[in-house]
Amino acid sequence: MLPDWLEPPPDALARLDASKREAAEALACDTPGIREFAALLSPSAGVLLEAMARRARDATGRHFGKTISLYVPLYLSNFCEGGCAYCGFASDRTHVRRALDAGEIDAELDALAAKGFEEVLLLTGERTTHADFDYVRDAVARAAARFHLVTVESFAMTAEEYGALARAGCTGITLYQETYDPDVYATVHRWGPKRDYRSRIEAPARALGAGMRTAGLGVLLGLAEPRREALRLFSHAEHLRKEHWKGGIAVSFPRIRPQRGDFAPPYPVREELLAQLIFAFRIACPDLPLVLSTRERAEFRDGMAGVGISRMSVESRTTVGGYREGAEGTSGQFEVCDNRDIRAFCAALRGKGLQPVFKNWDAVFR
Amino acid sequence: MTAPFTLGGRTFASRLMLGTGKFSDVQVMLNAIKASGAQLVTVALRRINRERLEDDILGPLAALPDVTLVPNTSGAMDAKEAVKAALLGRELSRSPFVKLEIHPNPHHLMPDPIETYEAARILVKEGFIVLPYMQADPVLAKRLSDIGCAAVMPLGSAIGTGHGLKTLEMLRYIVRESTVPVIVDAGLRAPSDAAAAIELGCDAVLVNSAIAAAADPAAMAHAFALAVQAGYEARGAGIMPASDAAAATSPLTSFLRS
Repeated sequence: MLPDWLEPPPDALARLDASKREAAEALACDTPGIREFAALLSPSAGVLLEAMARRARDATGRHFGKTISLYVPLYLSNFCEGGCAYCGFASDRTHVRRALDAGEIDAELDALAAKGFEEVLLLTGERTTHADFDYVRDAVARAAARFHLVTVESFAMTAEEYGALARAGCTGITLYQETYDPDVYATVHRWGPKRDYRSRIEAPARALGAGMRTAGLGVLLGLAEPRREALRLFSHAEHLRKEHWKGGIAVSFPRIRPQRGDFAPPYPVREELLAQLIFAFRIACPDLPLVLSTRERAEFRDGMAGVGISRMSVESRTTVGGYREGAEGTSGQFEVCDNRDIRAFCAALRGKGLQPVFKNWDAVFR
Repeated sequence: MTAPFTLGGRTFASRLMLGTGKFSDVQVMLNAIKASGAQLVTVALRRINRERLEDDILGPLAALPDVTLVPNTSGAMDAKEAVKAALLGRELSRSPFVKLEIHPNPHHLMPDPIETYEAARILVKEGFIVLPYMQADPVLAKRLSDIGCAAVMPLGSAIGTGHGLKTLEMLRYIVRESTVPVIVDAGLRAPSDAAAAIELGCDAVLVNSAIAAAADPAAMAHAFALAVQAGYEARGAGIMPASDAAAATSPLTSFLRS
């Protein structure tokens, strides 16, 4: 049922329970592979956290410089036919449903451009008649007229749709598998098109094959055993790098946040473990963009910036729209934790000796 | 001082080129450029913010005296994109130089030889002074100079790795046969790497990460400048050939009749 490439080799799986010596050897390895990555995820590596942080910081600096690239999310619609147990936008939850119309999308995008953003991530729920493919494509075209880089986090699409979205000006997609555990996946995706595990896990490959330049992967931390999830996430990223050598892969680390529906994560992930996962990815994949959103508190984000993390969202609202003057609010998909505005966040980055980078792409490449 | 370095018909006192993409802020970058004495500075088109000047690095760079900007096409995945980027870069920077970078794999950023060759051919015809970033491939180096590239820029190792001159053997072939300047780009970690590149006969080096990621970028920039000068002076002074063989004390051929 699971794709062959997803299952880590048995010796790598065994390293999730590495001894202290094996963890230390993995950290000292010049060219860590999946076995070393697994050892760095192990509880034994937990005591090496400070040393892992130092190696992660050095690797981040070498590959990304003393810079953090910034983007802002814009929720276009919270209509959804999905029944994701962990999501505030699930079809049995949010009472107020909205989809921005064309004029509102323009106004929201203008408001974001006026703040200085150059990269925008457009989000919707699962496909509905209120926010279908044509709706997303139209929003992409509107954003591409204003921003150098436009990416989309929406429903899993067909290859043809991804191709059309790319031609409309979309540079990349973000599509989290949420959990790689098929049993948990079946349980938490109670109804809707997202129940199709296989279609979703293959969507990033469809997107890259159809002309998208980047694909963002991630698991929703808290749904299943996090170390095993991280190992499969690693395998997914490695698989895409082999099959789509021009594709840029990025990895995000979203933890379940309080949301309407009060879903309690069965495997809550503490900050120390979250940091360990991020450091392990950075050490094993020094050239992969690693993303941290405003789900996390300000001090954690400041601490991780440049220490593994190379890309961050800022000033996010998880309500539909909400950036333009006079926009009426809906409830958000989840609660944002870092509420600082762009000025305060950039000041914090500069205080750490990091340059906030708003523009790291150019529309001339479209 | 090193002897003047001629590139694209122009003469520069410094053989150290700087990249600008990885600094913690604009002032740190400007201080490093000044401390390095570099007169050729690359800037990525994808970082130039032509709509929002306060987020722009082009303005402060253009204001530096004695510095020639070299826009680069980083971000381009093929020849077509690189040509578009080069044309836009020339318009914005007013520089005749272009550092041609085409790396379709966004992770290891290895240059695409096929697309680079194709783009170089077009850009030379468009009147650019073309400096192509390339694998340390002696045949490709000749092919690129044959079509009019003003220099070749082989990599020492992968961008941002700091692995130094991993391509040493190939660089020797390139230097021996090249009729255009050879500028080692990418992978240099320490000033000794820059000195080694110049000692073996390269004409210049380009450094970004090693300076930007240093604790004191300006001091490191100065150290690289000294290393480039040391390498150049050493070359002029005649570097002793390396040999594992000890000088024989008892001649083996004394029995031969003259």
